[in-house]
Amino acid sequence: MGLNYYQIKKHVRKTRKLVIRGITIARSGHPGGSFSMAEIMGVLFNNFLHYDPKNPLWEDRDRLVLSKGHASPGLFSNLAVAGFIEESEIETLRKFGSRLQGHPDLRCPGVEFCGGSLGIGLSFSVGLALAAKIDNKNHHIYTIIGDGELDEGQVWEAAMTAAKYKIDNLTAILDRNFIQQDSYTEKIMPLDEELIGDDLSEMWRDASRWKTGDKWRSFGWNVIEIDGHRIEQLNDAFSKATSTKGLPSIIIARTIKGKGVEHMEDNPKWHGLAPDPDIAPIIDLELDSQFMIAPSIIAGDMTNLENEVKRCVHGRADYIHLDVMDGQFVPNTTFDHNKIKELRPLTVIPFDAHLMINEPVIHIQDYLDAGSDIITVHTEVCDESSFGEIHDKLKQNQVGIGLAINPDTELPEWSFKFLQTIDQLIVMSVIPGKSGQKYIESTHEKMARVVKILNEHKFKGYIEADGGVVLDNVGTCYNDGARAFVGGSAIIGQNDVRGVIRQFRLVILQERRRALLQKAYELGGIELVNKWIDLHLVGDKKNQLIRMAKETRYI
Amino acid sequence: MTTVEQKLTDMRTEYGKTLIEIGKENPNVVVLGADTTDSLKTAAFGKEFPNRFFNVGIAEADLVSVAAGLAIEGKVAFASTYAIFVPGRVVDQIRNAIAYPSRGDKMGLNVKLVVSHGGLTVGADGGSHQQIEDIAIIRAIPNMKVLIPADTVTVNNLTWIISQKYGPFYMRMARSKTPIVHEDSQEFEIGKGITLVDGSDCTIASCGITVNMALEAAESLKQEGISCRVIDIFSIKPIDIDLLEKAARETGAIITCEEHNIMGGMGSAVAEVVSEHYPVPIKRIGVQDMFGESCRDKEIPLLLEKHGISSINIAKSVKAIRSKK
Repeated sequence: MGLNYYQIKKHVRKTRKLVIRGITIARSGHPGGSFSMAEIMGVLFNNFLHYDPKNPLWEDRDRLVLSKGHASPGLFSNLAVAGFIEESEIETLRKFGSRLQGHPDLRCPGVEFCGGSLGIGLSFSVGLALAAKIDNKNHHIYTIIGDGELDEGQVWEAAMTAAKYKIDNLTAILDRNFIQQDSYTEKIMPLDEELIGDDLSEMWRDASRWKTGDKWRSFGWNVIEIDGHRIEQLNDAFSKATSTKGLPSIIIARTIKGKGVEHMEDNPKWHGLAPDPDIAPIIDLELDSQFMIAPSIIAGDMTNLENEVKRCVHGRADYIHLDVMDGQFVPNTTFDHNKIKELRPLTVIPFDAHLMINEPVIHIQDYLDAGSDIITVHTEVCDESSFGEIHDKLKQNQVGIGLAINPDTELPEWSFKFLQTIDQLIVMSVIPGKSGQKYIESTHEKMARVVKILNEHKFKGYIEADGGVVLDNVGTCYNDGARAFVGGSAIIGQNDVRGVIRQFRLVILQERRRALLQKAYELGGIELVNKWIDLHLVGDKKNQLIRMAKETRYI
Repeated sequence: MTTVEQKLTDMRTEYGKTLIEIGKENPNVVVLGADTTDSLKTAAFGKEFPNRFFNVGIAEADLVSVAAGLAIEGKVAFASTYAIFVPGRVVDQIRNAIAYPSRGDKMGLNVKLVVSHGGLTVGADGGSHQQIEDIAIIRAIPNMKVLIPADTVTVNNLTWIISQKYGPFYMRMARSKTPIVHEDSQEFEIGKGITLVDGSDCTIASCGITVNMALEAAESLKQEGISCRVIDIFSIKPIDIDLLEKAARETGAIITCEEHNIMGGMGSAVAEVVSEHYPVPIKRIGVQDMFGESCRDKEIPLLLEKHGISSINIAKSVKAIRSKK
């Protein structure tokens, strides 16, 4: 058990696509709440739940209770990927005779609770936890509840019972997506404070306005508040929750309803609505087009990397790129594993250690021990045998496997056999060695060559663009096929790291929207383009899309 | 039928005592209460088995849902409080957390809702606390079974039986002490009624406190040369179809009497069976589709009489129905 950061991302993407497949065919269902908890589910299934799909009632299994049962497609898709049911069975969702009922039902293997009538699941879970205590069993109970569900008084009955009986073999996860069926939770029944107007975004960001955690604390619970879409924060929260003794724990996971599909995000309409079949392929492409931004901290103040790490965390980087240079493979020297070890306790954000060093196979253990989440080595200093060793070691340790090529290097033939299983390929667009260099323009053509080889060898990882990536060219890099972007001085060299990362995202989003418009046009001409644009109700997205479609003469 | 012994005994005391006997034999039995464990006499189980007893406070929704969680893990969960709250307050939880979840051939979860203070005999607490709709409510939920014991002999037997028989049960006890109507040697089976007195002119179907009234009515009618059959329908769901069909065929008329609204209760259940299997005239005696009211204990017969729930009215109804045969 256990997948690395990239693999969980891929798992989550796959489950979201299965949700769309099921709901689209069923013509009804709840995508919004399935997507808001997608990362929660992904981390649980891959890193925490003990289960046996061949023996679903194995008595020592951990129990997963989906109290917010309307998000059943989000559960079924995970049960499918985990092997409890066939993936194709998702197409029977909500159909006559199916095991995949509109709300979870025990007839589907892996389902522990018939959820959906809200408010019951936490009480039921307390029963499961008490039974485990009576029987001296060590399994854990994970219970996912919704924020609208907290309107139900029974939740608070259960909260008191769990505290009274010191139930520490149960972890509740609150999918705090701020939306219930009618509208925003803070309009219908405020948990934090009443929402004036329709803009959720400020409340979502402003921790001083959140009071939901206080409610649970006052009921005697251990409260852990996180961003529920961040894999590393979920990992950390589950570790803390499951090791807390003497009181029940709740993870308040702030999430976005409909997360992953722009027109669904934060839009109450998508609480319980199926996408039209002609829109589904566009949604699929959007889900396949997730991307990440990673600042490279050596472009900052090398005398205070601790502070640079903090700036990245505050800036909401997806992960941090750590350029390790040994003065031999490249002329410069930066830091080694000892520095990574020092930085590690500062944050749980993933560390992507890019080893620009000779003989990486000798040092790989040091970088594992230092707490790297992804380790990338260069093809120029590996061969089939040494990379094979590195590959297997990283896999064993659930660390992301990365390979890098310099601007003047092509993918060596020995690497082909690994392409299917590596997580990341860095295509360097500057000569490695120092930051602040200009992007080498011929990289664009090289990317076309590389992508062709990757497709031929069933590469399923992320291509990372690294070197001279700036606001002006990040969109082109995206179009070349890169899905992870390392920003050096363009990000970490700026005063407002958070602001510049947001700008990076916006530029990439523009390109993604353009690609989606094109997809819509190819599939259904002007009509489908207009239909897809009309789905974008929240914020300014719709006007942007109209402008873009007009520029491209789609409409 | 030997003479009816009119010693009054307490159902709740019998229930509490029986639970401890069962708990000693079966370590999987757990008991849950909702701040009425003294009254339901389940607190004693908690003293005997502290780690198998849970008092969740005044929180009936939590009570039955926690019981469901324990049951799905293999526990035999007895959840008890007053009938006005369970099922009164928590129909959804009973339906969706207990009756609905089914795996393989196990229909519903192994929860036993054993409640007290059913019907009008609650008395002084008043109409707000007199549960007169529970049979109708529970009977309509698939997988649920409904039992109404007439005396402590029945309580003891049924508590044992449901602790050993898989599935969700609802058992409603009376607040007041009741006379013993069954022999100690009487055997009980879920889905089987008991013929207490045989007769040929009319059948009186009864449950709970009305069984004794039926016996009294039959006795007085006997003096007048009318032969009544008295049956105890303690198992309202499943109901004894064979026994009812036989009674209809052999006696030609049926009176039902219960402390429950005449809509949806035992009388309705009997009428459903008889009308489909062997239609004969039926008269349902019960709460007249109106709420109850307060009365002191000694006035309870007056409240019952107001709705016609008495041996005198049963006898009167038997005479009236004979002309319709």
